[in-house]
Order: sequence, then structure tokens, then C-alpha cells
Amino acid sequence: MLIKVSSASNSGLQTIAIDVEVNVAGKGLPAFEIIGLPSKAVDESRDRVKTAIINSHIQFPSRRITVNLAPADIPKEGSFYDLPIAVGILASVTGCQLPGESLFFGELSLDGTLRHTRGALLLSLFAKEKGIKNIFVPKTSANEAAIVKGVNVYPVESLNQLLSYFSGETDLKPAEYIEVKDNWMNVQAEFDMAEILGQEQAKRAAEISASGGHNLFLVGTPGSGKTMLARALAGILPSLTEKESLEVTKIYSASGRIPPEGSLVKTRPFRAPHHTISRVGLIGGGTKPQPGEVSLSHRGILFLDEFSEFPRSVLEALRQPLEDGSLTISRSRERVTYPSRFVLIASANPCPCGYLHHPKKPCLCTSREVEKYRKRVSGPILDRIDLHIDVPVVDIKELAKDRQLKDQLEPSVIIRGRVIKARETQKNRFFDDGIHTNAEMKNKHIKKHCPLSKEVRHLLQQAGMNFQLSARSYFKMIKVARTIADLGDSRDIAVNHMAEALQYRPRVQERE
Amino acid sequence: MKNIVEISDPKYPPLLKKIDQPPEKFYYKGNWNAALFEKCLAVVGSRKMTSYGRQITAKLVSEIAAAGITIVSGFMYGIDATAHKAALAAGGKTIAVMPCGIDLIHPEYQADLYKEILKNDGLIISEFEGAFPPALWTYPKRNRIVAGLSLATMVIEAGQKSGSLITAGLTEKYKRKLFAVPGQLTSTQSKGTLRLIKAGASIVTCAQDILAAYGISNHKISGEKLRSSNLNKLERNIVEKLQQEPMRIDALSRLLEVTASEIGTSVSLMQLKGFLFEEEGKYYVN
Repeated sequence: MLIKVSSASNSGLQTIAIDVEVNVAGKGLPAFEIIGLPSKAVDESRDRVKTAIINSHIQFPSRRITVNLAPADIPKEGSFYDLPIAVGILASVTGCQLPGESLFFGELSLDGTLRHTRGALLLSLFAKEKGIKNIFVPKTSANEAAIVKGVNVYPVESLNQLLSYFSGETDLKPAEYIEVKDNWMNVQAEFDMAEILGQEQAKRAAEISASGGHNLFLVGTPGSGKTMLARALAGILPSLTEKESLEVTKIYSASGRIPPEGSLVKTRPFRAPHHTISRVGLIGGGTKPQPGEVSLSHRGILFLDEFSEFPRSVLEALRQPLEDGSLTISRSRERVTYPSRFVLIASANPCPCGYLHHPKKPCLCTSREVEKYRKRVSGPILDRIDLHIDVPVVDIKELAKDRQLKDQLEPSVIIRGRVIKARETQKNRFFDDGIHTNAEMKNKHIKKHCPLSKEVRHLLQQAGMNFQLSARSYFKMIKVARTIADLGDSRDIAVNHMAEALQYRPRVQERE
Repeated sequence: MKNIVEISDPKYPPLLKKIDQPPEKFYYKGNWNAALFEKCLAVVGSRKMTSYGRQITAKLVSEIAAAGITIVSGFMYGIDATAHKAALAAGGKTIAVMPCGIDLIHPEYQADLYKEILKNDGLIISEFEGAFPPALWTYPKRNRIVAGLSLATMVIEAGQKSGSLITAGLTEKYKRKLFAVPGQLTSTQSKGTLRLIKAGASIVTCAQDILAAYGISNHKISGEKLRSSNLNKLERNIVEKLQQEPMRIDALSRLLEVTASEIGTSVSLMQLKGFLFEEEGKYYVN
């Protein structure tokens, strides 16, 4: 008897329909075969399905069972075929009626229960797009799938439960719809901005970076607080908007990073990979292309500590995602595009020994070594970073004595308030431009939204001459000035906004 | 229309005509203004300028240029470029004598300065035509015009074998006044200037030393005073603190109890106006 069960397979963030055809033959020696280019994990599905059915106290048919995964020319990967295959066998054995317009998806445990399976959200979105009413997913993955409105997400606990539902003995209620909404909840960061003494300028740069989504490069001696600052920055970022939240959750769902029972990703990702990371680890890849750190930090922060220590080939791979906000991984068999709109926070020492310009410790590097060290990060990468700031060593003991100063330190909550306001301004401005932040502006947006007065243009020209700004730097300065103006609630970019923006220019390439 | 001045032309600067081998003709770019050639000072120095050299050049030149003296230099990077920039920043006049044809911008990356000079009624001149490339032999030839146009030459920083010393030699040969700025005995970039001083060049310790040679004895509005009158309260406070000790923006922000954002804004503007300069993150008063 031939049974057709619908399922779907995810490739990157794309989903395609897969038909699982199960034939339990009336004749022939007992066998259990899966065809349709199954991978190892799919092939092993046979043993899981068979054992799970037996352990659910259901008679496993000793007949010739053939499972075809169609379309047959696409390689099949993953463990989620367990459920549709098992359902097909059960339906053919018990003769129960399967509900129409349904997708089945999930990995089986040997005891007949279902395990958390990655990609449930993508399946749910696919069902909605194709107008499929019901999806059956593991109970622990149901919250993730239930973010999509208009799709009945049935949380399945075990094969027995499913079978009694099919036969009408018990009822199975779809999971409750979880509404996606803009949430302005507070984020818990490791450090509060008020805990950082001194570093007034660097903190301001962090605020600008958070407001306009600008990439930030922190240069400073060891122990000056670069890492602390980067981590505190996570606490002043606005929460994810509805749309952003969904984007991030999709990536996390596809790569199996949503925990069992987990649902929407609500806080901005903060990723801090170590500098020994491989290129594939950073930008994604593999035979079945997985998202890398750049995509996992989509709409959040990618913090690369010890930036100069990353292999050059790894850093250069950052160019495209930094520029386009998305990344296409091409392999011979497939091509996958992941979004990667992150804010890069990079930090580095000023020289190999780390103590260049340190007030007390001597620097042991020759000027040649310093030059060479700085050149490790290429111009094109530096060009894509809007804010460059020095993080000097601070005499914390001295500053800690100053009570008054301590009282004046702004906590992250207040800074975050300003950041959120500036983001609102940007949201309204870019209403029909398809971008979110000032940092994403391309030339045409700059022309449209950043008209410069004669005075500001003159200032910029003067700065260009004195500070040797490159053409790209000009645009960066305008973008940063736009954010500073937004923070100051100013419609136009004024001279003082541009003057402050100039503080964050890259100084390394200056030549006199 | 070609901008050429022949030696027979009444426009030809009289001082230049007096030197040994005056150029038969020279080309120029910019608005010709005879007043530009009346009181010229050649400012020359090392390409490998130290931070001291930059500071002194900016300070002296801005005051001298503000008093109405035309700054003549060779458009090279280092002291030359700094001198041109300081003259422009002070609203003064400047002439760049190129070692190549006037259509060629050399060094190339100083194209902005080239344009800025022309925009502010300065002149670009050269005895070489069009896009004539610079060569080893064109530099000393250029130097003779730099010295020849000027009543005096000021050397700021010169190494043991600096091209500036050629200009200094020519100055003496033409019987013009030679000034040298003293530097540290330990600095290689002071070897040349110190040797000049030993040999009898006049020592420059302030802009007044130069101005006196041009008969401007009591030039009251010194650069510093002129500047401080234009400063607002915050800027004056910043200058006051920085005069005591060079500082970072963070420290200024703490001391003056003003946000880093406001300090950053003021400091950028003041730096562009030439009141301050930055070195290793700290700001210094010029």
C-alpha cells in the first residue's frame, strides 16, 4: 500500500517541499530501504524509525518497505525525515486516515518520542507561504514554529499520541500563536557603562556606533578596557524590532541554535569568536552551507577582539558581508544566501608589544614593527569601519577616588534611551529606502538625506586637506555626522556635528 | 592663453632679475598680483619634519603671513607643505615654486593643497613647461627661484645634507638675509640649521625677528592674540588647560566637566583653524 506524506527540507534559509512516499509491499522478502539520495543521517533513519515503532508497542510490518524521498535528485540531509517516514509506515499498517494539507517534520528517539529538531520555524513559514494548514512538529520545537500566524502547529510528543489523535481517540490542540511584537525590554549586558571609569570619548563613540549601526575600531594598550567597552555596548543597543527579530530567529532556527521549548530571539546577538577562527567559521560554509559568525551576529554585534591577530585571509573575507549585509556561499551543489547585517566592533593593540604611547611602560617595538603590525589589517577593511577611536590606559585607582566623578557616570539605561530615540528618527527617515540605519546609507541615500550647508562642506574640505581623508572617508564622516545630528535631535547636519565626526577618523594613514 | 612671464616683461619680479642666472621666462597658475612679490620670505626645511618642526613652522609662519608677508616655498612634503598650509590658514599669501611643470602636481597626494593655494589667490610658478617631470637636477634650479624671489630665507630643520642648505647657500650668494631656527642638538634634523647658525645665520626665536627685517617692527596683533580674541569661552578654557599640559580629550572632559562630545567638537574646529595640533592622541597648543 502506498502512502504519501508531505514534508519539507531547508537549504540555508530556503525551504523546498519534499514528498515522502512509503510503500509497504504485499509481496517480497522483509526489507526496509530509503531511496532518493539520502545522506548518512537519513539512512540511519531506518533504524530509528523501526526501533521507535517497536518501542511504541506497535507491530512493525515484516514486509518489504520502500521509502522514496522526492524529488529524487536532490541530496537529502538531516534527521527530520524520521517523523514523516514513521507516519507513512503507521498509516499503511493501521489504515488510519492522515489529515490533509499537513507537513510532518521531526526526529525520533528510540523510545518513540520526538526530539527537538532544527528548522521548525522555516517549515512553518513555508507552510504559510504555500497555504498549507497544518504542521506536525516535535513539542519542544513547537514554540519556535508558533510565531507564524495562520498555521496550525501541532506539538507532537510521541508516536502513540499521534496515532491516537489520527484514530480520533484523543484530541491534539495546536500550539498557541506567539505574537511577534516590538519589545522594548531591557537587555542584560555583562557590564554597565557606568562601571567604566574614564574613557569618555570611547564611550561616546560606542553610543554613536549603537545609534547609527556604525562599525567601531578600538585601538589601545592591554588592560585599557577595550573588551569591557565592547561588552558594555551590547547593553545600550535597542531591542530587536518585529521584523529584525524574525530575521534573526530564522537564522538561528536554520542552524539549530534555538534551544528546546525556545521561541523568538528577542535580544540582539553578541558574538565574540576567538581569533583562531577559520574562514568557514567566520563567514559560513561547509558542504551543507551553515551560517558563520557574521550571519549569527545579524542585527547584532560581531566583536573581534585582537583584530590584528586574525589571519589576513579570514579578515579579508569580511569585506562582502560588511559591504552588502548579506553573504552568498556557493558550493558545487548549492548556493545559499544568509543575511549578515551586523555591527563590527574590532579591537587591537597599537603595536606588537602593546605598549606604544603607554605613559609608564616602555614600548619595545621598532617603528618598522609597528608599521608592519598596523598593515596586518588591510585598507579596504579599515575603510569599511566608520568610527576609529583610541582607548588610552586609564589610571583607575586615581579616578576611583573621585566621588563626584563617579556620581556623574551615565548608566547604560540612559544612554540606551538616547540610542532608541536616534533609531526611531532613522526608522522614520528611511521609511521607503529599505534600510534601517545611517551606516547602511549608500551614496544615493547620502545625497537624499544629508544635504550639507556651505559651512559644513567647507569644514569637510579643510579637514580633507589637513587630515588626508580619502574619498571613502568623506562619506564615512558624513554618515557619522548624520548620526551625531540625530542624537542631538537636529534635522540638519551642522558644523559642530561634522567637527565631532572628524574626531573618529582613522589616524593611521595620516601622512604629513 | 598661456601664463608666461618673460624676463623682458615689466611684470617680471625685480628681485628675481637680480640673481646670477635668472630664468628667461617662467610659467604661472593663479591670479597674477604684483603685490604678491613685494615682500617675500622663503621658508624651507626638511622633508623629514619632526613634530617640533611642524609646531614651529605653523606658529612662525602663521604670524609672519598674518603680517602680510608672502610665504614662498617649494611645495614638497614636510616643512614646505606645512608652511604653505599655515600661510593659507592664517589668511596670508603664498607662492609655491614647483620642481616640475606647473601642470604636474608633485607630490601627487598634495593635490588638495595645490587647489587650495590657487583658490586663495596664491600662485603656482615654475620655469618648467606643462607636465615636465621633476628630476634630480630640477630641484636645485627650483631652489634658486625660491631664494631669488625672497628678501630673506628662513630654514626650519635641515639634515646634514639637506636640499634646504642649497637654498641657504644661494640666499647668501644673492646677498639676502638668512635666518635659521635653532633645534635640539641631538636631533639629526637640526644638524643643518645649527651649522648655518654657527656660520653666521641669524637666529629666529620669534616671528618678530623676521618681521623686523621687513621693517614691520611693531606688529602688535601677534598670532596668539589674534586667535584668542576669536575664541569662545570653552575654547579659551581648553587652550588654558593645554598650555599647562598637553592632554587627551578624555582628560579635558573630566577637568572642564564638559561632555567628550563637546570637547571633541571644539578641538576638531580649533585644530583645523591651526590653534592646536595632535600628537599620539594628545592635543598641544600651537
